[in-house]
Amino acid sequence: MIHPRPNPIVAAMYTLRDMNVDVIVTHGPSGCCFMASRPLENAGIRVVTSALKDNDLIFGGSESLVATLNEAKRKFAPRTMAVVGTCASTIIGDDLGAAVKRADLGDTICFAVDCHGCMNNNTEGAIRALKAGAKAGIVPQDECDRQTVLLKAATDLEKKKGMAGKTYLSPAVSPTKMHVCRVIADALKNGKKVAVVMLAKKELAYRFSDMFVAVDEARKRLGGQTLFVANMDEGLGLPRIRRYCSNIMAELDADGVNIDCIVGGLDEYAVVGERMKEKVDEFEPDLKIILGICHAYPDMGKDDILITDQPRELANYLDQNFTCAVGEVSSHNMVMGATGIVHLETADTLREIVREM
Amino acid sequence: MRRIAIYGKGGIGKSTTSSNITDALAEKGLKVMQIGCDPKADSTRLLTGNDRPVTVLDVMRKGDDLVLEDIVHEGRNGSLCVECGGPRPGQGCAGRGIIAAFEELERLDAMSVYDPDVIVYDVLGDVVCGGFAMPIRNGYARDVFVVTSGEMMSLYAANNIAEAVKGFRVDGYARFGGLIQNSRNVKDENDLVDRAAAEMGSEVVYRVPRSPEVQRCEDMRTTVVSGAPDSEQANEYRRLAQLLYDRSEDISGGMRLGDEEITGCECR
Repeated sequence: MIHPRPNPIVAAMYTLRDMNVDVIVTHGPSGCCFMASRPLENAGIRVVTSALKDNDLIFGGSESLVATLNEAKRKFAPRTMAVVGTCASTIIGDDLGAAVKRADLGDTICFAVDCHGCMNNNTEGAIRALKAGAKAGIVPQDECDRQTVLLKAATDLEKKKGMAGKTYLSPAVSPTKMHVCRVIADALKNGKKVAVVMLAKKELAYRFSDMFVAVDEARKRLGGQTLFVANMDEGLGLPRIRRYCSNIMAELDADGVNIDCIVGGLDEYAVVGERMKEKVDEFEPDLKIILGICHAYPDMGKDDILITDQPRELANYLDQNFTCAVGEVSSHNMVMGATGIVHLETADTLREIVREM
Repeated sequence: MRRIAIYGKGGIGKSTTSSNITDALAEKGLKVMQIGCDPKADSTRLLTGNDRPVTVLDVMRKGDDLVLEDIVHEGRNGSLCVECGGPRPGQGCAGRGIIAAFEELERLDAMSVYDPDVIVYDVLGDVVCGGFAMPIRNGYARDVFVVTSGEMMSLYAANNIAEAVKGFRVDGYARFGGLIQNSRNVKDENDLVDRAAAEMGSEVVYRVPRSPEVQRCEDMRTTVVSGAPDSEQANEYRRLAQLLYDRSEDISGGMRLGDEEITGCECR
């Protein structure tokens, strides 16, 4: 695989966010993971760097890390803080844990995630973050174990069906949403049965959920039948992830939109496909709309409408002749820090078409 | 300019051998720069008599504006002595330190300023990582010699270094010049080293005999060439120095050979 993918450091950082860690210190060069750091900061996490220089590589970077930890403590007074290793600091063998002990952090809970960018599967960084968090007492051990199983399933899914199974995928430019939205509107107008299935990965649910609202609006106006299935169990996952579910479900409820089947949590997209399929098959839909990690749904049909946020995943679908695949690129930036449903372009296109019918 | 690297297992006598080679060549009127590539920074102490010279990395660590006069120290017979230095044991990356020190010497254009006839790289122990392979990579050293005795671990290290040079040969920079036997009076030592050299596809280029003169001069913080100039051991080092000089390739250019300087070379 030669296309760029998020690495274990980024995976660790996002997992620390899910554990509601207040400050993340990346122990490495200042530019390391900065593209991932910005949206995390937008989501309310403070991300700082020990900004290693060449001298730190030669003589050791522990002093820079201790100084950064002390500075972060002074500046943000965090309840919880975590240090994430990078390639540079790991290769020179800096002892992150020893630096944490040497820093003057008072009552701040601080722990180190010993990871770097070359650990093969990016989920390994997330698993190490969870284990370190469990050891520090900020996440229960059973939740850590549960997450570890899910992350391994996600890795497996990506290798078998997703981008991690391809050598190179060029990011695709999405076709316009007109075609797929006409298909949806026509189906409803003709009294057909439309299933909308969301297999969202964490915060991306804030955007994909808009499709439930739009299809529900379309059904009310045009007719037809719908089945809404989503992995939004409010009782599953880390606290932040459960909060996403609560926020979205409350908003859908306020809009009068009912999710017919809740199957699994927002971190369970890799393992809930079969159970969702059972519900969908019982409904015997004429048209399926699959949102999020679409390939987590078993037996995607060539006529299914697939809505993904990732340009390379879109390329993966289009390459396999899933001609009704569209991309909602830049979704991730739009949902970082969101607390309510964010409009989806496909949903807005459907609304426009329905208005004109 | 001749660019010679001397490798070998720790404690085998690389620095003693390197310093005597440098001193012997400098004695002939050649301008010789010895660059110590060991965090202990003790490569050139027999040339300068200074156990704690200021190293390139000392100055870089302080963040001072580095000038060549701070780090190029004059040794016996006008030799030029540089110590790369390194981190405290167990911290940071000494290999990265070697690379950074070389880059700094290049940035300061040290070879244009001093214009040496010979550079002698004295490199720590085995080729343990990319940093310690730096002298034989990227066009720094041209001819690589390994100091060894007949002791097993010393020969093992020599084999590793020979393998490393072979591995980099495709890049067209360094070539393996052979083994320098620093005799320890091990039983059947000559045979052992000869056989090892043959297995490496190389040869023993010189056997330096064991002599109490070496330790006596080390105690006086001097080379044998300068400390006991009339001794037979001093003549041994002079012959060795001349042999390495004759066997190494004279190529113009800066500290690092560029593509143009090595075009047409046999080791490509």
